[in-house]
Amino acid sequence: MSVLLQTAEATTPMWSALAPAIVLALTGLVLLGIDTVWSDDPNNTVLAGTAAGGSLLAFGITAWFLVAGTGQPQTGGAISLYGESLVVDGMSLFFTLITTIVTAMVAVAAYDYLDGHEHRAEFYSMVLFAATGMATMATANSLATAFVSLELASLPSYALVAYLRKNRGSVEAGLKYLLIGSVSSAVFVFGISLIYAASGSLIFADVASALGSGVSEMTGVVGLGVLMIVGGMAFKTASVPFHFWAPEAYEGAPAPISAFLSSASKAAGFALAFRVFVEAFPLGAIPAGVDWVLAFQVLAVVTMTLGNFAAATQENVKRMLAYSSIGHAGYALIGLAALTAGGPNGDVLGASMAHLLVYGFMNTGAFLFIALVEHWGVGRTFEDYNGLASAAPVAAVAMTVFMFSLAGLPPFGGFLSKYALFYSAIESGFWWLAAVGAVNSALSLFYYSRVVKAMWIEEPSGTFEIQSRPVGLYAAVLFAGLGTLLLLPAFGPVIETAQTVAAALF
Amino acid sequence: MAGILDFAPAIVLLPFVSFLVALAVGDRLPKGGALAGIAATAGSLLLAAATFLTVSGGQTYNATIYTWAEGLNAVDLSFGLLIDPLSAMMLLIVTLIAFLVHVFSLGYMNDEGETGLPRYYAGLGLFTASMLGFVVANNLLMAFMFFELVGLCSYLLIGFHFREPGPPSAAKKAFLVTRFGDYFFLVGVVAVFATFGTAAFAGDGSFPVLAEAALNGEAGSVTTFGFAPQTWFTIVGLLILGGVIGKSAQFPLHTWLPDAMEGPTPVSALIHAATMVAAGVYLVARMYGFYALSPNALAIIAFVGGFTALFAATMGVVKREIKQVLAYSTISQYGYMMLGLGGGGYVAATFHLMTHAFFKALLFLGAGSVIIAMHHNENMWDMGGLKDKMPVTYYTFLSGSLALAGIVPFAGFWSKDEVLYETLIHGLGGNPILLGAYAMGLLAVFFTGFYTFRMVFLTFHGNPRSQTARDPHGVGWNVKAPLVVLGVLAATAGLVNMVPVEKLLGIKGIDFLHQWLDGGYASLTAHHYGELIPYSSSYIGSEATTVALGAGISLGLALAGAGLAYLLYDVPEPIRHTDRLGRIKTLLYNNYYQDEYQVWLANGVTRPVARAANKFDGGIVDGVVNGVSSVSLFSGSRIRRIQTGVVSNYAALLTLGLTALLVAFGLLGGWFV
Repeated sequence: MSVLLQTAEATTPMWSALAPAIVLALTGLVLLGIDTVWSDDPNNTVLAGTAAGGSLLAFGITAWFLVAGTGQPQTGGAISLYGESLVVDGMSLFFTLITTIVTAMVAVAAYDYLDGHEHRAEFYSMVLFAATGMATMATANSLATAFVSLELASLPSYALVAYLRKNRGSVEAGLKYLLIGSVSSAVFVFGISLIYAASGSLIFADVASALGSGVSEMTGVVGLGVLMIVGGMAFKTASVPFHFWAPEAYEGAPAPISAFLSSASKAAGFALAFRVFVEAFPLGAIPAGVDWVLAFQVLAVVTMTLGNFAAATQENVKRMLAYSSIGHAGYALIGLAALTAGGPNGDVLGASMAHLLVYGFMNTGAFLFIALVEHWGVGRTFEDYNGLASAAPVAAVAMTVFMFSLAGLPPFGGFLSKYALFYSAIESGFWWLAAVGAVNSALSLFYYSRVVKAMWIEEPSGTFEIQSRPVGLYAAVLFAGLGTLLLLPAFGPVIETAQTVAAALF
Repeated sequence: MAGILDFAPAIVLLPFVSFLVALAVGDRLPKGGALAGIAATAGSLLLAAATFLTVSGGQTYNATIYTWAEGLNAVDLSFGLLIDPLSAMMLLIVTLIAFLVHVFSLGYMNDEGETGLPRYYAGLGLFTASMLGFVVANNLLMAFMFFELVGLCSYLLIGFHFREPGPPSAAKKAFLVTRFGDYFFLVGVVAVFATFGTAAFAGDGSFPVLAEAALNGEAGSVTTFGFAPQTWFTIVGLLILGGVIGKSAQFPLHTWLPDAMEGPTPVSALIHAATMVAAGVYLVARMYGFYALSPNALAIIAFVGGFTALFAATMGVVKREIKQVLAYSTISQYGYMMLGLGGGGYVAATFHLMTHAFFKALLFLGAGSVIIAMHHNENMWDMGGLKDKMPVTYYTFLSGSLALAGIVPFAGFWSKDEVLYETLIHGLGGNPILLGAYAMGLLAVFFTGFYTFRMVFLTFHGNPRSQTARDPHGVGWNVKAPLVVLGVLAATAGLVNMVPVEKLLGIKGIDFLHQWLDGGYASLTAHHYGELIPYSSSYIGSEATTVALGAGISLGLALAGAGLAYLLYDVPEPIRHTDRLGRIKTLLYNNYYQDEYQVWLANGVTRPVARAANKFDGGIVDGVVNGVSSVSLFSGSRIRRIQTGVVSNYAALLTLGLTALLVAFGLLGGWFV
């Protein structure tokens, strides 16, 4: 087996390591092709099937690469391509895994959600192009590709948020997202230019070595550049103070897109952030005055606190989830905030990656449940959810799993991932970060359980008019629920893989 | 090492499957799921027998099946199986009794037209599976979990007739009283993990072995929290003992057991002979290597055991219901086992556990048969003269009674005598506490003989004292067959360990149980325990004299008790001689007011404390928590106000936020100099 793999490695060209991203891009093109060839209104089943099939194929390839060891130490280390501007390694594959599986779930769910809408082919192809951008973000190894891939992921996202053209909320959210996104991109690209000015390079490794070999007179420039890049990352991961777009965009967007943005897009932002800060600004090489770890600590604490506090006061379930998603960005930021020179960095970063994977399932599932509820035309507030369990018990069970898992209760995947994250933070000596996280988790239980209480305990105010059981939405929600449950027993291999691939970065 | 031992998990899983079957489709099966249960326990019995034979060939098995929590940096929590001579023997006993109880239930439940049979058989299946899981557990945490499952199942089965007033309250009492003990057990489990980092029973890294090494002064990774190792191990041992005292119904947590008679009689047989109550004693035997290190813990076990044996036996003397007598006899007999364990007689106690399982299951099933015949009237004063009407029940019940009273050569004689003998010689070796416990145990023999035969004579002899006793209901094969099997075992099981005969006549090699329990893992053998126990032995005259004297005295006392019962009650029209005891009878009949004082403890002491705690919780803790949440809701609504919906505000705030960060970090990092 291993011999076979090795010969396969030897004969396949290097660029084939990018196969997942290529497959995603090609699927997007095929969707456009179908739209062109098919006369007026392409068959929804074909479109959704193609999109889901393409992303599952990309998922399969990524999983195969990850298992076979492509780009990992056992087969010769990271594969760098195109003059080191892209790199395929364990971490990039891990994040591609998250992106592709979320894309697949979103594509399946959209099958029902888009029923009766126009321009469906554009919808699917933009999802696929955005996913391509996210997969590329995970492989970006230079500031230039980082920026380009980030824009590739963002531009379709703006359009997707505004997809419901006749819905004022959707259009408004899309516009706001675009405006905030442009400001953030400007900040990001300005940061990149400052770093280029100081180091003379855009390749991460070269930036690191240039910064390491004496730029002390330019500390201010480097510092400004680094903080502005932090800003760019904060936008993509919906962290404070670049989070303002998130509640509006998630609330206004079609629910599958909210799921897509809050899970896959966020994970891709973290993939990029992890690589930029670990590779380009390593703790050993960065000038003493540029303390980005402290910046991330501040951001992590503020983000998780603000997200959870704001979520606690929402009346609209989708908006509550949007804020909870900001809170989870705060937890994931611990992966960068708890790094120390010479500490167990692989463990912390790996735990954060594993949390993002589990989050990919439970958060996508929660938003897809919202999509299901929107599909039925049930209202948006907690009160509207009263007694929903009696009308749709299976979906309500799945939603209960998502809520409790998001809150970090056993026996769901979210429990172990949060536990591992806080535990590794303590291991690195940042017990206070873990403590803030734990207090926030306790608070989060309040608003997550409100959903559960509304669905199961409260009496319904009226009767639900639920005629349909949409197959695609149900399948996607149940798949996400199953993933959330299975990630409890399967968490051992997940966290091991994540921590191994994260340790390879240091 | 593929072999029959690899199938050991199936012994546990088969009854579990029958539980699922009875639960899911029991109402569509003939006999309400009984056949599934019988098939499952028969399969388990066969596998257990095969396991027993394999273990007797010298094989053992100790493996982790599933690790359900690992990477905690301190401990791994796992499920695993430990098959050694002790657990193999116990597996055989439990599966045999469970099988017979299932068969008997056909007669007691199905033929009597009870409703809710699927629930009943589901409960029996789960009960059996939990006990078997407990028996094969290879670590203390797993044992605890199954211990709790056993408690849950007993709750479900005792409260089987939940529409009547008595059973639900008895079930609750059993659950709560044993749970009280289990709190200590749970703390003990955590203490074992904290001390040793493992809770394995067997192997080089098991906690008894580590404890032994620590006491020998070998440095190991043992944390004793500032106590001397000896003191700390005693504390941990006593914590775990809390669970044992609750489950095995030892003083002062015995009060649940007589009430538990509200459950169906086959369930009582299972609870008393093979599962719930046996679990406590088995746990001490399982981790005897740990208790043997602590003289104080052993002394407490012995004293509690001796006291309970006597205390419960005296209460059994005055009861009117046949099952009540048996209930107190159970408490008393488990007291003997505890006495044996505490007195350094590991083999003796295990032996008594085995023989008691047979004869007590027999007596309960016999009582069940009588109860069927009497149309569910349990009052012995309404019986009488059943001897001729139901000979099979009579002779098997007599066999069980002779065993219970400890009359040679029935099973109970050999095991009880060995328990007393071991306690005596270790007490003579300079331990007055053991001598005191021995004296109580010895005195209890007299009472045991008396109440046992009072029960036999009142039930079966004399003239019938009621219409139903004159014309009892017949019982079928499914009642008689289990009785016959157990009757034979009650008569003969003692022959596996005839230590007195060996010692007196000098025939070597008939102490089969000693040899059996000497096999398996080196740290779990009877021989090893013999080296560990902190007692020395001493004899009256020679060893043979002591054996003869001890056996003679206990046999004499048993016969005296039985004889007194014969004089008083084996008459055509017995009268209530216990009335002559006057106020003592009232005291005994009310169980020394144990329930009353516990109720007083709960009402007079615990309630006010709980009320104070509630006040603290409601006033102070809730106040703080509510304060925090109103703060968070308030600030949450502030945050909501920031989110104005105006995009230019967002851009401004975003820019201001970034600027604030830049300025702060710039000043901090000295960028502007």
